[in-house]
Amino acid sequence: MAPTMPTLRPLSCWKAILRRSRLQKAATRTLTTYYKPKPIDATPTVKKKIKAIPPPPTAASLFKEPIKSVTETQVAILDPTGARTKLFSKANLEAAHVGDILLVRLKNGDPFAGVCINIRRRGIDTGILLRNELTRVGVEMWFKIYSPNVEGIEVVQRKEKRARRARLTYMRKPKHDMGSVQNIVLAYQRSRGALRGNTEINSNAHENKGGKRKIKGKR
Amino acid sequence: MIQLKTMLNCIDNSGAAIVECVAVMKMKRHAKIGDRIIVVVQKQRNFGPETGSGATISTSAANKVRRGDLRHAVVVRTKKKLQRPDGSVVKFDDNACVLINKTGEPIGTRLNGIVGTELRKMKWSKILSLAPMHL
Repeated sequence: MAPTMPTLRPLSCWKAILRRSRLQKAATRTLTTYYKPKPIDATPTVKKKIKAIPPPPTAASLFKEPIKSVTETQVAILDPTGARTKLFSKANLEAAHVGDILLVRLKNGDPFAGVCINIRRRGIDTGILLRNELTRVGVEMWFKIYSPNVEGIEVVQRKEKRARRARLTYMRKPKHDMGSVQNIVLAYQRSRGALRGNTEINSNAHENKGGKRKIKGKR
Repeated sequence: MIQLKTMLNCIDNSGAAIVECVAVMKMKRHAKIGDRIIVVVQKQRNFGPETGSGATISTSAANKVRRGDLRHAVVVRTKKKLQRPDGSVVKFDDNACVLINKTGEPIGTRLNGIVGTELRKMKWSKILSLAPMHL
């Protein structure tokens, strides 16, 4: 390579030569160094095998989605028949929707009926907001649908047209307020009583003695 | 949330129609259903609509309080949501109260309107028995 190099550029020539010599130098140095290779096959045999203890089984491995499983068990306890879940499930076409008039029967206390203006779906904490007008005063009540205090929830009347909102809070405004739904509920209870039989009719007749004072009379 | 300057409806037949809260008794925060407050009568009830349901009672009872009177009262309805121990929540569309005297007896003889059941817990059974409905 060196003889073909142009004489005008001696520096590059020098560089190439020097590089070669440097390489040679390095080679000689490595040759002169004393190097005794370690016995290669000794190390793997000496290496001890550490006993790996598997981690104890944790709850996390058993329950991949703990909140979900807790909710499921709670719902199974509080709603064994699954009727309540079905009544408010989104998959069910016959489920109660916002805008329907619902009647909540309570274990201790009188039933409350009203237009459902909000369904808050939160697993076991699922609640419904009912609005009604009692003694010319608007009343709103939240009920937890899985509450042990709630004996039953009935659909009194469905909204003829599907509500296009999830929360019908506009129904609080005087323009959209449905007012009292007590008449519809009473008619429903009467019809239910007639369907059930005599005893129910009697109890309902007692219940319906005087429109407004119904609840107090029942206590 | 009944506090200073809150205007409340008075739902008894004591003669007051609208009262203003000037103090909440025995606590340093806002009043809820069943709490005792001190009110000033701002507006007297008009006798016109009352005549339908017992004119004689209302006219005689109407003299019991006058505009500007300082009275004690019990909150019976609140616009603020109130949560019950069982998780249910009750909310009314207005704030309302019932006037009482210093010993806790209601001044009016009749109530027109629903009241909260919390009154039972707070030992206002007399008001509850007067009320046409409680929730």
